[in-house]
Amino acid sequence: MLQPARTKYRKAFKGKIHGIAHRGSTLNFGSFGLKAIEPNRVTSKEIEAARVALTRHMKRAGRVWLRIFPNIPVTKKPIEVRMGKGKGGLEYYVFRVKPGRIIFEIDGVEESVAKEAFELAKAKLSIKTQMVKRLGTL
Amino acid sequence: MENLKLEATERKIESKGNLKKLRLDGFLPGILYGDKETNLPLSVKKNSVKKLLESINFMSSVIEININGSKYKALPKDINFHPINNEPIHIDFQKIKPGTKVVVNIPVRFINNENCPGLKMGGVLNIVRRKIELKCPAENIPTEIIVDLTNKEMNESIHISSVKLPENVKPVISDRDFTIATIAAPTVVKEPEPATATTATDATTAGEATAEGSVDSTKATDPKTGAKPADSKAKSAEGGAKTSSPAADKKK
Repeated sequence: MLQPARTKYRKAFKGKIHGIAHRGSTLNFGSFGLKAIEPNRVTSKEIEAARVALTRHMKRAGRVWLRIFPNIPVTKKPIEVRMGKGKGGLEYYVFRVKPGRIIFEIDGVEESVAKEAFELAKAKLSIKTQMVKRLGTL
Repeated sequence: MENLKLEATERKIESKGNLKKLRLDGFLPGILYGDKETNLPLSVKKNSVKKLLESINFMSSVIEININGSKYKALPKDINFHPINNEPIHIDFQKIKPGTKVVVNIPVRFINNENCPGLKMGGVLNIVRRKIELKCPAENIPTEIIVDLTNKEMNESIHISSVKLPENVKPVISDRDFTIATIAAPTVVKEPEPATATTATDATTAGEATAEGSVDSTKATDPKTGAKPADSKAKSAEGGAKTSSPAADKKK
């Protein structure tokens, strides 16, 4: 699963997701993409599951680009532990997705294949997404 | 080159609220600039722009804009879209004057895909540049650049030098022979195969055991940084799949 090679600080605040994505909201590489339409924290497990679903459905054809990287550490207290005594241990990494963010891009496959692949991939993510395609020559 | 027409009306620069109202009424705010004249804020019907966007090479076509009776020839220079619903929210037009040179992003179109041996063998057309920045006379702007894929083999690259450009049209990047596209070799996705012989079964179970061992070892957290080492299982499971980070592609 995706995670940073090293981080400046071991633990991070939970944070909040404000506003909409103004960066990373257009297709840059492929012809089709999967765009987030609601905010949430997407975990590295979800990203990996969606990526595997995409690549398996596309089989040998095409190419996949991943436009997000989980770099926010999330901690969790062990079960049956009383509150207090400091912050819990590191559990997993997430990416804070804002609405409008392109999560995946694919190219080299037919639109129907891309649509099916994204249907499988979007089921693995904890956010509502929609497929977008390149408009003419833009 | 097609000459398209667009009806526009002049608009006043007021508040954001006015722009919002304009957009709700089905209009698209825009601006017309260039030719060393004062900028002219305008608004066009959003549906007419959307039709043009879908049908043609909009960004490389000269458009005749009619603003309250006065006509201007202009080139769509930039268009902004809403990040969520992908609706156009603003458009820029640049006036063009015959006899001058303009810098335009011209789209690339690939033809004869079926006659390309590299693609027939299962290769993937990896487009490096979908548009090429060209310097051309204002009256002779090419609508598209056509790249012929006939006789292109696997792992072959198509550079700007191999593309025939119209007369007086030069690429803005002139210091190097940049790549437009490559025909990349396919990579096979490894699907788990059912083991048939007993020896093969033993071998696979041993392999799985080592893989699991490696995964367990990665669960240990690095005391210095707190980051866990990269999971090798994810890479090996879909090793054949062509997933790449945009940073690696930008280096091209």
